[in-house]
Amino acid sequence: MLPQIAEIQRQLEGQHYVTDRAIATTIYLAMTLRKPVLIEGQAGVGKTEIAKVLAAALDTDLIRLQCYEGLDANSALYEWNYPKQMLHIRLEEAVGEKHDIRQQEAEIFSEPYLLKRPLLNAITREDKAPVLLIDEVDRADEEFEAFLLEILSDFQVTIPELGTVHAKHRPYVVLTSNRTRELSDALKRRCLYLWIDYPDFDKEVRIIETKVEGINHLLAEQVAAFMQVVRRIRLSKTPGMAESLDWAMSLMALHADHLEPESVTETLGAILKDRDDVSRLAGARTDSIVGELTSLDEDGLRTSPPQIAQRVDKELVSR
Amino acid sequence: MARKARHSDLQRNIIDFCRLLRDREMLVTPSEVIDAIRTADAVDITDRQEFKTALRSVLTAKPEDIALHDATFDEFWRGRLQELIQERGEDGVATQDDEAQGEDMPQPQVAEGDDSEASEDEEGMDMPLYSPVEVLATRDFSCFVPDEMQEIARAIMLVARRLATRESRRYRSTQRGHAIDLRRTMRRNIKYGGTVVELARKKRKIRKPKIVLICDVSRSMDTYSKFLLQFIYALQNTLGRVESFVFSTRLTRVTDYFKSSDIYTALDRIAREVPDWSGGTRIGESLKTFNAEWALRTVNKHTIVLIMSDGLDTGDASVLEHEMEQIQRRAARVIWLNPLLGNDDYRPLARGMSAALPHVNLFASAHNLASLQSLGKHLAL
Repeated sequence: MLPQIAEIQRQLEGQHYVTDRAIATTIYLAMTLRKPVLIEGQAGVGKTEIAKVLAAALDTDLIRLQCYEGLDANSALYEWNYPKQMLHIRLEEAVGEKHDIRQQEAEIFSEPYLLKRPLLNAITREDKAPVLLIDEVDRADEEFEAFLLEILSDFQVTIPELGTVHAKHRPYVVLTSNRTRELSDALKRRCLYLWIDYPDFDKEVRIIETKVEGINHLLAEQVAAFMQVVRRIRLSKTPGMAESLDWAMSLMALHADHLEPESVTETLGAILKDRDDVSRLAGARTDSIVGELTSLDEDGLRTSPPQIAQRVDKELVSR
Repeated sequence: MARKARHSDLQRNIIDFCRLLRDREMLVTPSEVIDAIRTADAVDITDRQEFKTALRSVLTAKPEDIALHDATFDEFWRGRLQELIQERGEDGVATQDDEAQGEDMPQPQVAEGDDSEASEDEEGMDMPLYSPVEVLATRDFSCFVPDEMQEIARAIMLVARRLATRESRRYRSTQRGHAIDLRRTMRRNIKYGGTVVELARKKRKIRKPKIVLICDVSRSMDTYSKFLLQFIYALQNTLGRVESFVFSTRLTRVTDYFKSSDIYTALDRIAREVPDWSGGTRIGESLKTFNAEWALRTVNKHTIVLIMSDGLDTGDASVLEHEMEQIQRRAARVIWLNPLLGNDDYRPLARGMSAALPHVNLFASAHNLASLQSLGKHLAL
């Protein structure tokens, strides 16, 4: 392994982000090849977190652009501050200053009257390159994607009244997508691609132990194993990593040091966020999963979730 | 000199590797090939795992690519990487020590000595070669095996979502948005003596048409109705203003069943509670019930009525014709989706079908994803 990659991994872990080599390698490449990274994966696997941690590790600012349906270039790039411009004109009239019109125009179309939105903000940083997070890009529409493509290839923006702004420092760009729709090939090809899956048992244990202070090893393992089971059952909302952590913390708040049917039932709301899912799993079914898990040792917890899930899933279908 | 030659060796291999991926239907652009070459310079190629993850992040673009890339990588670089590294070592260029060779190659997944055939078999079994959605798009629904249901359900969801979020030509006023709403701006700024201080903006409305879906679940539609019901489910959950009905000999309103948040529960309930599931077909009678009991409440001049049926009616064709006329008079548009239309030899000669056709604004097929997709432009008012 290149020392640089090991260093990145070390830095990410230093920010309490449990990572693996694929993630560290991709980030290293993004920094060396200066290409944007497109991160895809299910909700709650820590896509957004990567950008945050990256910014912290690089000790630079994180600029975030949250995408939504109908997001347009104006709210992503820049807008003129109309009220301020208007006020300026009225003030000058009131004071009675006479400027020549050209000068006037240059005045109100200058930087103080510009409202920088995230994208412009990201390329006009003076000191050092920020991390630009373009979150949930699949939610924006295709026109916006095309527009983004233009920005990401040149890192320059033309503002008719001001001229072209070049990036002094090219930002590190991280895009995330939940795959609610397929992104355009052009955009995907411009980016390095990273697919993050739900963590496996060992990684999940490590994440829980890193993020939930004071949790004992056994509980962390049982929580992880339970989540591994639940994620394999067909549900309307599969719980992600955020849910595991919430749940582990809830259990800690109840002073649990291992899983018990009662405490699990009480806290099930932390992982199942859909009424149907709760009604399908709560009660006897949860109890039987817990019962089975608590009888297992570490190796058992690592290997048996698939079979348990298969059995439960079958029961649910035949119900 | 030697360095240059060696370098191009690695380059040539990377180019070959990309070519192999392309042969296996993965999309690899020239700029990605260049990136791959730059990547090889940037990472430690003696570390096989590192080289593999690095190439993966450069060359893949969707989750389906990953398995294909990794398997092809193992197969392609098995012997080659070793050679390249050894050459480097002999020429005294910096390399990690011998552990690089010891650490190496896990057992190849494909048996030694064979080539294309066996590996292709393996791919056929569990490695999607290209985006399943693309392949699924043109395949007739009746050819799917149960394993592919998940994939198709996801694809159907995507199609429905696209239909649901198309912009209309009308504007609504909003806080932010492209266009300045002049009329409202003038009005809002009267209080400032006509000086424009606040800008009113507008943007295009997202148009969600009101839709009534009537789906044939009689025996002759068995292979298709499963998919069409998924489509209904997806539409209903993205569009909101959807009423749905199923019929074979009798009409049943199923709107509420689909409100359950889980498609499987919904399908279960429908299958259980619709009395004549997979029965015969009486389209005319069913539509008569619709007109008598539901049309007043659910259909108006802004409603699109979508009927999904193969038109193989066992009832009285004149009844059907009359009822279709009623529906068309009331609705904005009537669309008839017939899965059989995907079959080139099909002519709408069935008695029922030819009776209904004069009162249908659009007669389209519904035998695969692509046909559902192209429905989008007709769902606008």
